[in-house]
Amino acid sequence: MRLMIRRFWKRSDPLDYANRLWMKLFIGTVFILLYAPVILMMIFSFNDSRRNIVWRGFTTKYYEKAWNNDGLIDAFVNSLTIAAFNTVLATLFGAMIGLLLWRFRFPFKSAYDGFMALPIVIPEICMGVAMLAFFSRIGWPSDLPWPLNLSSIMIAHIAFSFPFVAIVVRARMAGFNRELEEAARDLGASQWQTFRDVIFPYMRPGLIAGALLAFTLSLDDFVVTFFTSGPETVTFPVKVYSMVRFSVTPEVNAASTVLVLITLVAATFMLRFQRPQEAGGP
Amino acid sequence: MQAYAPSFRPDRRGLMKAAGALAGLSLLPKGTLAAEDKQVNFYNWDTYIGETTLDDFTAATGIEVKLDLFADNDELFAKLREGNPGYDLIVPTNDFVERMLVAGILMPLDHDKIPNMSNLGANFRDASFDPGLKHSIPYMWGTIGVGYNTARTGDISKSWKHLYDSDQFAGQISLLGDGQNVIGHAMKYLGHSLNSTDIAHVKEAEELLISQKENIKVFADDNGQDLLASGEVVIAQEWNGDILQVMTEDDDISFYVPDEGGLIWQDCLCIPNDAPHPDNAHDLINYILDADAGAAIADFIQYATPNDAARAKLGPEYNENPAIFPPDETVARCEFQLYLGEEHVKNINDAWTRVQAA
Amino acid sequence: MESYHRNRRLFWLLAGPGSFWLLFFFLVPLGIVWTLSFGEKAVIDGQISITETEITWTLANYLRALADPVYLKIIWKSVWISVFATLLCLLIAYPVAFLISFTSPRRQAWLLLAVILPFWINLLIRTYALIAVFRTKGYVNFTLEWIYNGLWLDHLFGAFQPLELLYNNFAVVAGLVYVFMPFMVLPLYASIERLDRSMLEASLDLGAGQFTTFLRVTVPLTMPGIISGVILVFIPSLGSFLTADLLGGTNATMIGNVIERQFKAANDWPFGAALSFLLMYVTFGALALRAVISRQSGMPA
Repeated sequence: MRLMIRRFWKRSDPLDYANRLWMKLFIGTVFILLYAPVILMMIFSFNDSRRNIVWRGFTTKYYEKAWNNDGLIDAFVNSLTIAAFNTVLATLFGAMIGLLLWRFRFPFKSAYDGFMALPIVIPEICMGVAMLAFFSRIGWPSDLPWPLNLSSIMIAHIAFSFPFVAIVVRARMAGFNRELEEAARDLGASQWQTFRDVIFPYMRPGLIAGALLAFTLSLDDFVVTFFTSGPETVTFPVKVYSMVRFSVTPEVNAASTVLVLITLVAATFMLRFQRPQEAGGP
Repeated sequence: MQAYAPSFRPDRRGLMKAAGALAGLSLLPKGTLAAEDKQVNFYNWDTYIGETTLDDFTAATGIEVKLDLFADNDELFAKLREGNPGYDLIVPTNDFVERMLVAGILMPLDHDKIPNMSNLGANFRDASFDPGLKHSIPYMWGTIGVGYNTARTGDISKSWKHLYDSDQFAGQISLLGDGQNVIGHAMKYLGHSLNSTDIAHVKEAEELLISQKENIKVFADDNGQDLLASGEVVIAQEWNGDILQVMTEDDDISFYVPDEGGLIWQDCLCIPNDAPHPDNAHDLINYILDADAGAAIADFIQYATPNDAARAKLGPEYNENPAIFPPDETVARCEFQLYLGEEHVKNINDAWTRVQAA
Repeated sequence: MESYHRNRRLFWLLAGPGSFWLLFFFLVPLGIVWTLSFGEKAVIDGQISITETEITWTLANYLRALADPVYLKIIWKSVWISVFATLLCLLIAYPVAFLISFTSPRRQAWLLLAVILPFWINLLIRTYALIAVFRTKGYVNFTLEWIYNGLWLDHLFGAFQPLELLYNNFAVVAGLVYVFMPFMVLPLYASIERLDRSMLEASLDLGAGQFTTFLRVTVPLTMPGIISGVILVFIPSLGSFLTADLLGGTNATMIGNVIERQFKAANDWPFGAALSFLLMYVTFGALALRAVISRQSGMPA
């Protein structure tokens, strides 16, 4: 017990917070809370019952069912396509606006700030209805071939997610030391070189955070997507919403479990791939 | 003054398509003169069609069915309100058929293309909400009633009282989550019509609900059957089919339609205006009304079918199940929900907001 | 910060795409709904139309929302629920973001992913899983009962009484935290990551304790991240409705639910639009207030 107390207060490196026992305990609890429902969902995807209530034996039939459910697979592919496209464009636009707001002073800046905050402030359902009215009034074509038929959903997703990215990037840049940039310029670097070698590396954690945010927002959006989707452009959340409202089917749990696994595999590859580059990074 | 009438829409649409074609977005011409594509876009509730019905239909006709799902009538209506995004066949409930008829967004049906209409039972050849079935074909019908856990409630009288006016099951009651049904049945319990537009009756129901609120655990968003099955509540207001689903997994759960009467509903097959494949939609309606296909659907989803030829093919465990087909005298006490105009919809929803905020 | 005069080309390059997108694909659609909020249902042939709205520039929709105290009461309640959810989010997310920032870059990537992963599962599935965990016969209560009986407390105080964790305001707050957590973690991470460690070391060397250092050095330095996190959690949770729908009890209605009902069940788009804009005006008022306060206290916004 005394050993534990001593470890608790040990101050070998005062900034080594990650190795503090109380920190580990706290983070451990948070992760348990975050993952308990997820793991439960995964377990119940093998449950031989249509409901998440009692365990009625092991089965993989819901994986088979999910695999053979064309509508579900289509929705899944649509969602990932939209989310990928959205992440790229929203991160790009958001980063640019974030840099703009951080760097420049210009007339009516507060008003512009408010304008950028609109998509965050607006209740989702109101935005959904606005998009529905907008696309039906301008007569946006709904019978384009895939993936162009997803364009109205993508447009809406980019519109509501890039301001989130802008906020994160701007908060990141707020701590940037402008003297670094000036020093680079004094040493003869061009504007582009300065951006590439000084500003961008500093911005990167903000970009990663922003991109994750944009991906998450798009992948999980139900309300706005519901109002912009048609019979050919159902996304995973829209599909799940109508299925789950009737019966919490393990089929949906199975599909979500697969989504988690795909994500993990993709992330592992990406992180392995990125490793050599990162050696020289901060 | 400026009204949002969508009269200019077709031109804009044409313009947009032209622009799209110019931009090189390979727009396949969807010939309006040529025969329809071999496709039909079916907008249905989840788990509300036979397991193989749609595949069988495709095998028989070569028409691909694109199935999309909605979760409630309000969503269906909101989605179609500003124009049809491309659905061919939808399944609204009777009061929404009426509402859509008033809004003028349903296409008249061509009965010559639906010869299997002759399979419909005598009671279903006409409808008060759509005289002559000009725009709708009955699909399934049922009731709203009370699901309860007999092991925990014991024998109880068949009344709405346990839900609306009693603290016997305090904290273990769930009501539905939409104002129309909750307030409608409160009025029914109070001895008025479900469809009463009398503002005093609505007020009375509102006050009853506010005083009962402390005993109610939750206004369940269409998952009362799960709450019942997991033991969270012992008595729940629900659609008969939902309770039936959990009755098959738990013998303690039972269902009744209260003696005061309740709601009877009928879901219908309709074709919305501007449907891209109306002929195929007629074919699908006709196929659903077929005796064998209809029997397979009814057997799988366990709702009451209006298709007599299909019923003839099913056994007594379906035809004589009182939770599917309530006795005639019970049905006689039930009412259809009517569409009673926008003013009434507003009164009900305002009362519902006050109940929830109280 | 420099004036846009000094580098006009860069200014327009950065401002162009985002502004264009927002203008055409957001402000125009929003404008449609905004005009709707000054409309009323059209009367055609003596009957109130279900689908047509006539823009008469009436203020009746706004007056209806302001005149009936029930709507302000619900807005007020939503504000409180969102405040609690935001605070709870901040209290949980700050240490998490802090820990992530203080590990090696490689572990950072993994930990970020680990925090974000649960949020890639559909919101509804997550919420239903949460219900399975927290319900009366759920896993939290099972665990508590097991501990309770294990400690022989059932012999002392009688049988275990399960906690009522669902269908109340607590459940809504917890549910919102479970929905909006990444919106807090990510901005915090982006701003803590750049924290200059030498400043913390200097503070500690000068004799300030860990706690003082945290309050006087760490928190002020990461304030931009805290503020953006708070904005990104508080505002969306104010307008959310699914969580309150699924986890709330009989009086957990939030303003988002009322707005949703106007667009769906009540089929009253003008009133729904008015309520939405009212909520937006309130939010913008609060944001402006924050800007004024932060300018007065010299805090970077």
